[in-house]
Amino acid sequence: MSEDLIRSARFRAEREADWKRLQEIVTKAEKRGVRRLSFEEARDLAILYRQAVNSLSVAREISLDRALLDYLDALCARAYLAVYAPQETLAGVVWRFFARGCPQAMRRSGWHLLLSLFALSLGVVAGWLLFITDPSWWNSFIPGDLGGGRGPGASTQQLLDVIYGDGQESGSQLAAFATYLFSHNVRIAIFCFALGILACIPSFVLAVYNGIILGLFLALHFDRGIGWDLVGWLSIHGVTELAAIVIACAGGFRLGWAVIFPGNLTRRDQLRRHGRDAAKLAVLAAIMLLVAGILEGFFRQLVQDMETRLIVGWGIGLLWLLWILLAGRGSTAERRDEQRGAHAHYGGNDRLGEDAA
Amino acid sequence: MTDATTTPNGASPAPPKQSRRQRRRQRPSKVTSRRMMPEHLLPDFIPPEGVPLRFTVAGVGARLGAQLTDILITAGFVLGIILLVLLLRVELGDGWSILFSILFLFIRAPYYILTELLWNGQTLGKKITGLRVISATGGSLEAHSVVVRNLMKEMEIFVPGTYLIMAPTLDGLTYVIVLLWIAILLIVPLTNKRRQRMGDMVANTVVIHHPRAVMAPDLTAKVPAHSETAERYPFQSHQLDHYGRYELQTLERVLQAGPPYSGPDAKRRHEQSLQTIMGKILAKIDYPEKVPEADALAFLQAFYKAQRAYLESRRLFGDAREDKFHKEENGKAE
Repeated sequence: MSEDLIRSARFRAEREADWKRLQEIVTKAEKRGVRRLSFEEARDLAILYRQAVNSLSVAREISLDRALLDYLDALCARAYLAVYAPQETLAGVVWRFFARGCPQAMRRSGWHLLLSLFALSLGVVAGWLLFITDPSWWNSFIPGDLGGGRGPGASTQQLLDVIYGDGQESGSQLAAFATYLFSHNVRIAIFCFALGILACIPSFVLAVYNGIILGLFLALHFDRGIGWDLVGWLSIHGVTELAAIVIACAGGFRLGWAVIFPGNLTRRDQLRRHGRDAAKLAVLAAIMLLVAGILEGFFRQLVQDMETRLIVGWGIGLLWLLWILLAGRGSTAERRDEQRGAHAHYGGNDRLGEDAA
Repeated sequence: MTDATTTPNGASPAPPKQSRRQRRRQRPSKVTSRRMMPEHLLPDFIPPEGVPLRFTVAGVGARLGAQLTDILITAGFVLGIILLVLLLRVELGDGWSILFSILFLFIRAPYYILTELLWNGQTLGKKITGLRVISATGGSLEAHSVVVRNLMKEMEIFVPGTYLIMAPTLDGLTYVIVLLWIAILLIVPLTNKRRQRMGDMVANTVVIHHPRAVMAPDLTAKVPAHSETAERYPFQSHQLDHYGRYELQTLERVLQAGPPYSGPDAKRRHEQSLQTIMGKILAKIDYPEKVPEADALAFLQAFYKAQRAYLESRRLFGDAREDKFHKEENGKAE
């Protein structure tokens, strides 16, 4: 029978059973996940995939059988997707992020964080000075609803009411305000990060703008002699929230840095390299904003005392700082590993067996 | 100086004419080879095994479809939860705004990140439309890439989308800026071969159609060497010198199309096209005998086998024939 066939048909007939078996395993892996394969199936998947890729390479040279080439192309592509599926669990990804990836990325972005902090401080000073020169600057910088009825025209008692208002009476109003502020700052953070790609400038401007708003608020309240009450009111969530904006902005600066100073790489490659850390910064900023939203929604009205507010707010800030400074200080080799993003390049096969076993 | 610039100009008329003629001669083969290449093939995708794999890049339309499906699914999910809360008559009070903001936050970037991480580059919408995100490097899809492409999605889809919904409340200038923004974002994927949006470029990912593997039978197996068909239609090597890979595979496609047929009409049309093809081949290769039209299928099967065996063996000797113009091309090369 086999002499009947031409060479490429013989090639196909000899291997067809293996391909069918590979197809079965791949279909199973696609439906239920590689993790659910038995040990034999996982082992065969790896071996048969390599063989199929090898056959594809040979078939492209010797065979003109379109049916075969199309089939092998699709089969190898599907098997590739099954073999090189991410092997990490979700919990593993999250743990890696918090234990190593994120604090290390933060420590590598020291200069960018400083620059972004500088932009914010610049804004605060500017806002303060503006208010001292002429309080009407308030209206040109602060959008109507963000002030929540506060402004140079409000009485000191009104300002204090906002700061120490009990939750019950102004509950729904506060909830709405909380969500607004939350989304306002989230938007600022997103813009700070994503616009950083345009050579840092928009991020810098946004950070300064945010600083000006803060400076105006501070100047207004200190002017009335209730500055520390505002600081307490802001601290409880503001430490986390402003830190988040600084971090998002630093992420933007890293992207912008790659665009301005690509070094020996092309801009696209340098962007990808810096994007690795920048993305971690952005995710951290998002998480911190979420925490800030929770602090603002629940704790700000629960904790009425100024000192406690200061302690809680700055205490949480200190915790963030300690985590960033201390976490993920493993061996140098490990750190270098992380920097290269070496986790991505573990071959699927080597770990498949372990998983199945 | 002026002399140097004018002389080539004066002498130029002859060479362009020649090159145009050359171009005309090349044109047919170029057209056929372009026709053979499926249009949106992912270029240079090489897995660690070193053998290039072929993936079909998903077009902008398919991806918009998947995106819309995802938005519908997530919006339905939020509606479902709200209905559930209403049906169970849970007193939420202030909780509503918190529930809303958490749900709306979740169905943006987090939903896409989680689903693409858990299902190897497929959200529910992509599963339904048969798309998948893969890493353009040929390695496995990293958590980092998934996060980056979906964070950028925030800038590329959700923020302009929200502005578009708010359109009636926007002033003229903002409206124009938003429209410009959306136009640029839609154009970016059309300007590169991999149809990457900006998030894909930064994350180094590509969206592809999930491949489907269907094994069609080997046509040569239908004509055993010492069978009646093979002996009834012998071919000489000079008769097999006319065609190349393209014609062979076109013939294969036609032969694979039949039976089973979808209806009597399809059967008639297929038989007709087989007869037409047979007529053309008989004329081209100058086949000495007459073949009755009813035997078109058997003849073409025999011809296919003989032609493929011949072309494949030529190929092994380094003479890969792309199409029926191979003689002209070889002649030109010599």
